[in-house]
Amino acid sequence: METMFGIAVDGVAYGMILFIISVGLSVTLGLMRVVNLAHGAFAMVGGYIASYAAQGAGLPYAAALPVAVVLTVLATLPLERLLYRRIYGSANELAQVLLTIGLTFVIVAGINYLFGPTLKRIPLPELLTGTVQIGSKAIPAHRAFVIVAGGLTLLALWWLLERTDFGIRLRAAVDDPAMAAALGIRTERLYLATFALGSGLAALGGVLGAELLPLEPYYAIRYIVLFLAVVAVGGAGSIFGSAAAALALGIVDTAGKYLIPSFGEFFFYAALILILFRWPYGFFKGRTA
Amino acid sequence: MTMAGRTASRTGVAGAHPPPAARRDLGWIGIPLVAVAGLAAFWLLPDDLALLTRIAASALFVLSLDLVLGYGGIATLGQAAMYGTGAYAAGIAAVNWISDPFALLAVGGLAGGLIALVTGALILHAHGLTLLMLTIAVGQIVQEIANKARDWTGGSDGLSGIDPAPVLGLFRFDLYGRTAFLFALAVLVVALMVARRIVRSPFGLACRGVKEDPLRVSALGGSPKSYLVALYAVAGVFAGVAGALTAVTSGIVGLDSAGFPWSAEALVMLVLGGTGRLYGAVIGTAVFMGIHHILASSDPFHWMGFIGLFLIGIVLFLPGGIASGAGRLSALLSALARPGRDGGRA
Amino acid sequence: MSGAALLEVEGLSRNFGGLQVASDISLTLRAGDRCALIGPNGAGKTTFVNLVTGVIPPSAGTIRLAGRDVTGLPAAERVRLGLIRSFQVARLFRSMTVREHLELAVLQRDRRTFRLFASVARVAGLAGEVAELLDAMGLGAVASTAVGSLPYGQQRLLEIALAVAMKPKVLILDEPAAGVPHAESQRILDAIDRLPTDLAVLMIEHDMDLVFRFASSIVVLAQGRLLCSGTAAEIAADPQVREVYLGSRADAR
Repeated sequence: METMFGIAVDGVAYGMILFIISVGLSVTLGLMRVVNLAHGAFAMVGGYIASYAAQGAGLPYAAALPVAVVLTVLATLPLERLLYRRIYGSANELAQVLLTIGLTFVIVAGINYLFGPTLKRIPLPELLTGTVQIGSKAIPAHRAFVIVAGGLTLLALWWLLERTDFGIRLRAAVDDPAMAAALGIRTERLYLATFALGSGLAALGGVLGAELLPLEPYYAIRYIVLFLAVVAVGGAGSIFGSAAAALALGIVDTAGKYLIPSFGEFFFYAALILILFRWPYGFFKGRTA
Repeated sequence: MTMAGRTASRTGVAGAHPPPAARRDLGWIGIPLVAVAGLAAFWLLPDDLALLTRIAASALFVLSLDLVLGYGGIATLGQAAMYGTGAYAAGIAAVNWISDPFALLAVGGLAGGLIALVTGALILHAHGLTLLMLTIAVGQIVQEIANKARDWTGGSDGLSGIDPAPVLGLFRFDLYGRTAFLFALAVLVVALMVARRIVRSPFGLACRGVKEDPLRVSALGGSPKSYLVALYAVAGVFAGVAGALTAVTSGIVGLDSAGFPWSAEALVMLVLGGTGRLYGAVIGTAVFMGIHHILASSDPFHWMGFIGLFLIGIVLFLPGGIASGAGRLSALLSALARPGRDGGRA
Repeated sequence: MSGAALLEVEGLSRNFGGLQVASDISLTLRAGDRCALIGPNGAGKTTFVNLVTGVIPPSAGTIRLAGRDVTGLPAAERVRLGLIRSFQVARLFRSMTVREHLELAVLQRDRRTFRLFASVARVAGLAGEVAELLDAMGLGAVASTAVGSLPYGQQRLLEIALAVAMKPKVLILDEPAAGVPHAESQRILDAIDRLPTDLAVLMIEHDMDLVFRFASSIVVLAQGRLLCSGTAAEIAADPQVREVYLGSRADAR
């Protein structure tokens, strides 16, 4: 029973990290039809900035987190202007793959140049190093924090997309780009804003998840397959799809590590193939559409 | 697939493709050139034979990707699934049953072809991102099975103890890697000849048609998906042989042979050399791994930065790879030269 | 003039939602027939072609090809049985040469495309047949040119050559001269005139000069139904046709 609870907590926390990072990828993929293999690199950049802000500049965690997100967004926005804008659209996937792999390599090399090949930590404040008591159970505070942050991110995104002007435009443009353009929605600015949202979420996930997905230069390459898998199962552009797929992957993977230290990932990818075979646009999208 | 059509038409408009007739007449030169270059490297770089052997086997792998992408328009990030399967099949066979190197290559080719046939039939109905994801997933599954089937594959420690018999019963695999390299080079050259044969066959012609416009192929009464599955399987045989070749010549098989990074790296090498040209695969692999060897010995990350910038540059400025760059450069030069010559005559 | 019935369409209907885009169309083409299908824009001509060729399934009706019911067969299967169409907008493989197009069409027709290790250049009988087709269509001079850089008129000629290469029983030409300068359309007509006499040809066309030159019989579609059919002379004299089609077009001009 104790193990089951541990699995659940760890699995959900892991899933939430996957969700926060992947949903950014999902949104840019859904709107701009761009397979951004550098998304993991963006998450890594966020993590490294937070690590430097906390360890090098001595900022408290609560300050390092927003600083990392904002700086990552500012650092990646020029890339949208200079590079990504040229490769938007589903007719370009080979160019997208090559360009974003290239970008990933450059970022990996740059991070290594600046910070070296060793593992970097983001020191947690005391508040997050202990445990929190929920009923009779004790949960590591950091896991609880991550789960709450993931839940808040989900809510905030839901609010952003369902209740704001930006969200209405975004959904319109995802559903029917030509119509959105005809209605005078300025797709260029919308793309820029969405790209910023995507890299901001990546950075947020990179910082929050540094305990679970450790920061080192190969982070960008090591985890991108996971993020892509979440998006593929969840369906591009679907927030709840990403959340469900990320939680499923998080729990399956964690359970696999605890229980049968064996076939967790295998099952996930087998399921991925079956799902994509049946619902090529993702499990959750395929069913609503 | 739409991507492929677009790339093709883009380069077609820019005139980067040499007319196929010309390609047809000159194409055969590449094969003796590869053989001669390989032999020259054998004499000139006797201390780097292990690297050269890796290059030859990898070039065969990248060649298999060129068949799939360059001639079928299938964008994949999972070609290493076939390479890894071939490598493990040959490795396991070598450890347990067989030692003849040619038989081991056959085992690898068969395994790679079979896995490609089965997975291709499953996933090739998809396009674009979905297909990319499916190819990645197949690769991950193969890697995961190899990781878990520890008793057979050695898991994360890798499979070792592959000790092939002498080639043709005459040439043993020596410590300096001479036999290994010459064996790999010979296999690569033969594979190039076979690949060239295939792309110029009726089947190759049909695949090029599918790459450009699958619907038009159906309107001619063909079934685009069966062509793609067959092509994927044929390329799987090449990839499987490449994996087996690596296993035979290096004596070990590791988990990374089926991994996503290896698939992505193959794509990078192919694009570097140029798709749809066969020799582009050899050029791209040799350039990539050669420069890698030089730069990475100082710091592997410098190499990544370099290749990353290179990739970005290729996408932005040279959508057809090095070979098309050379083609365009010569087209540009002759275009520049022509008015001058005409002026001189007038 | 009563060859074997090659294409028999009976009661062909199709509705999209509540919209009847084809209703109860019947039509028979015999060997040697040269039939034109005309009708104002939106009359359902393209829908009819798509129904017959199997691109969209009909709601009701049957289609028989040389006596065999093909109503439920997929498009590619109908192609293999000899029901060939040309496209309204030339739809070709841009980077392939004219010769390669014809080679592919012939190989596909003979189901020899799964030969992996034979050289296209050495497939028995292929080069000769392709040379004949090139000659017949006057495309010999551009045989080695990539289609992407061919003038549009020659692309249309190749489109027809491809259809002919597949040895159709029934050939449907969807506006073969659309978008071609008038001077060049003559060459396309000549090519059509030289088509083997034993096949049935259905041509969808707007240009009435072309229609009267080409067709021995004419079928008029309006609002998804068959308005009337007859010989060219009968149709030209039919007051009903003049009203819905010829008349309105003449006025428009």
